Amino acid sequence: MDRNAVAASQNREEPLFRGIVLALAVVVGAGCWFAAAALSRHDRIRGVLPDHPRQLADFSLTDSTGRSVTRAELAGKIVVASFLFTGCGLTCPEVSRRMAEIQRLTTNEPDVRLVSFTVDPRSDTPPVLARWGARYGADTNRWFLLTGSRPALHQLIGVSFLATNASDPFNSMPGNFTGTGLIAVVDRHGQVRIFFDGLRLETAAAVVAEIQQLRNEK
Amino acid sequence: MKNDLPMNRNGFLLPLALVLVLAGCKPAAPAIAARNYPVHGVVQAVAADQLHATIKHDAIPGYMAAMTMAFTARDARVLAGVSAGDEIAFTLFVTETNDWIDNVQRLGRTNVFGLSGPPGWHIAEPALEVGDTLPDYAFTDETGQPVHFSDFRGRPVAFTFFFTSCSLPDYCPRMNRNLAETRKLLLAATNAPAGWQLLSISFDPGMDTPRLLSSYAQLYRGSNADHWRFAVASTNTLAALGPKVDLNLWRESGTLSHNLRTVVLDARGKIFRQFDGNDWTPQQLADALVAAAGN
Repeated sequence: MDRNAVAASQNREEPLFRGIVLALAVVVGAGCWFAAAALSRHDRIRGVLPDHPRQLADFSLTDSTGRSVTRAELAGKIVVASFLFTGCGLTCPEVSRRMAEIQRLTTNEPDVRLVSFTVDPRSDTPPVLARWGARYGADTNRWFLLTGSRPALHQLIGVSFLATNASDPFNSMPGNFTGTGLIAVVDRHGQVRIFFDGLRLETAAAVVAEIQQLRNEK
Repeated sequence: MKNDLPMNRNGFLLPLALVLVLAGCKPAAPAIAARNYPVHGVVQAVAADQLHATIKHDAIPGYMAAMTMAFTARDARVLAGVSAGDEIAFTLFVTETNDWIDNVQRLGRTNVFGLSGPPGWHIAEPALEVGDTLPDYAFTDETGQPVHFSDFRGRPVAFTFFFTSCSLPDYCPRMNRNLAETRKLLLAATNAPAGWQLLSISFDPGMDTPRLLSSYAQLYRGSNADHWRFAVASTNTLAALGPKVDLNLWRESGTLSHNLRTVVLDARGKIFRQFDGNDWTPQQLADALVAAAGN
């Protein structure tokens, strides 16, 4: 009888004890997991490094207001670059929405410029680019939509930013450029540092974080 | 003996708790028994977080062929002071689940910023200009018969590009609306040149069959097909013709992105006038056809 009573009392206490142990295990385990996640910072949206060293080459192009813009004007600035043509129905509008968001997030940062290069300059004259820019609220003092001669633009984009693949001319952006949904970040020395996927919503914040990191460099 | 039962249950719970704790903490646990390899290479890029670098490295005997790839450092100090173009020696550590680099030493600089651009890169073929002769190309018309630019020699011809699935009113439909207006103007004009011709060319050979073209043409042309033909270009023809007239096509995510090109050829097949985009009027095109005939 006594033994049964002891067993019964232990049986009553057991669920409580088991609950406490389980709760502790879950709390400590979850805590460790969060700590590990916080330590491994590279779990957030990761950019892609250039395929080989790329530097913003010299250029002289025309913006959507008809003004001449050269590389010299961007010297010492952190540049956020994207690529478009106004006949592009899917990718380019989405990337431009991302650029608009980056423009908004860097409104009071005088060391940042946004630049979008067209790959179809014969269509994308300054007035055509002005209409495109207006659709996304481009501030023409900080976000330059650039056009010029096709060879000059394609050479600049090919040398400084994007890879090409000529195997199927219709499956890459005009000029055979690939990765045209990318947004590039160029440091103050003109070196292309990283690319982010312009089709992802998180990219705007990632670009802003990258700008902050570049600003902290010596 | 009966007391053993609850004890055993608690004895089961404690290992469970340990397993949960260890599972959560595993990513932060230090790696053990890493193999290491001395590596030589040239830095191609360093991420701003100083934790990642793209390095073009020599062969790593017993582990990897020479290639360009991204490496990770565990600490920003490892890559501090290193930038693109640096020739470096470093140690690659590899475990079952992880790899990282350490002991980075700068050996010198390499001039990696060439002016010529990346290998394999070249400027696309330049477009033709006014006065240049457009080579001849074959298309399939709405009746299934071949049609060539050369079929219209001796007469001025205006052609534009479209595809029937194009739904943006300001794009392909606007081109064909403009051609319809141009035809009306020229049919009514006293100075219209003999045999003037309009040609709408689809760049969607997978979809735009002669049959579909024929019913699409009906929408813009009615039953009178005089002076205006519809045709479709093959992929090979587009690949050759596109760059010559600066027509841009991009198949992305199941749709076609494209620009707008409308070209007037004179009686000898030379480019007389090019209208880019959609900002031109039927009157301008009609005038260009009249002028091309007198060229």
